[in-house]
Amino acid sequence: MKGKPLLIATVSVGVVLLAGIFFVALNLVMQQGARPTPGSPAPDFTLKLYPGYRAGLPEEIRLSDLRGSVVVINFWASWCVECHKEAQALEGIYRAYKDRGVVVLGVDYLDTEAPALAYLKQYDVTYPNGIDLQQRIAKAYRITGVPETFFIDRDGVVREVVIAPLTEAQLRTMIEALIED
Amino acid sequence: MKAIRAFISLLLAVWLVAGLAQAQLPAPDEPTYRIAKQLNCPTCAGRNLADCPTETCAQWKAEIKAQLDAGKSAEEVLIYFQDRFGPTVLQEPPKSGVTAPLWAAPVGAAVIFLAIAGLVMWRTAQRNTRTPAPVAANHSDPFVAALEREVRAGE
Repeated sequence: MKGKPLLIATVSVGVVLLAGIFFVALNLVMQQGARPTPGSPAPDFTLKLYPGYRAGLPEEIRLSDLRGSVVVINFWASWCVECHKEAQALEGIYRAYKDRGVVVLGVDYLDTEAPALAYLKQYDVTYPNGIDLQQRIAKAYRITGVPETFFIDRDGVVREVVIAPLTEAQLRTMIEALIED
Repeated sequence: MKAIRAFISLLLAVWLVAGLAQAQLPAPDEPTYRIAKQLNCPTCAGRNLADCPTETCAQWKAEIKAQLDAGKSAEEVLIYFQDRFGPTVLQEPPKSGVTAPLWAAPVGAAVIFLAIAGLVMWRTAQRNTRTPAPVAANHSDPFVAALEREVRAGE
């Protein structure tokens, strides 16, 4: 009988602590959602573009505004060694396909502005590029690192995800398949 | 002998590389270092920005220095990093939002524990006041003393 209040206190404390952990876990899961895979709709987002890297688009663009175009979303960072390997290839396919309804969208991840702009200048990038403020886009797409590239079709559906630097030949193959669809 | 020489050369090389890496870090008295101490490395989980030698952290420290040189205060620099990269960039993120239940849960648990402990103590105290205290034998009363003598004699 003497141990009963102690048991109640211990159980109550345990329940409150577990409830706290449960709510945090639930919030995190709801915020992140599932990782987009081929066949799933591409999570919508707003990207604030760097000045000089808007390619005729407004300062802030929504992915859903690009519906009807094939979109190649490339997560990159100036400090990422592997990203440097694919920078020219991305620019090459943008120039080759921009008049055929293809948009390459650079999403700069965990980067400071000066090195990011230096990177874009170094590779003579002209496709739209912006900063992923507060890592919102990276969280929505649940990227595992950089570079990571998502291929979105004209209906806003993810068709391919590549977690590696891409060559121009690989990019061409994937884009051609999406254009023909 | 060759193996010993190679081993010593390797040790010297490691020491030299470590020294160079250390030399890239800002000195502890620099304002940059003090601000970097309040931020996390974005790519190494749990590592402090000030003590991290990666390329990313070198860029971030350069950004801190550039902003300080431009006349920004330490608070303004920290706000810039929080706005750009999110609150998790801070070593001590604000106690709100998603993590709020983590801060509230121990407080709630402590309140419940104290409330139950207080209730138990109060009920114990109430029970003790209701129980009559044992009456001490009063040998100075001649009547009681005579009664005790008679009881003993009767035994």
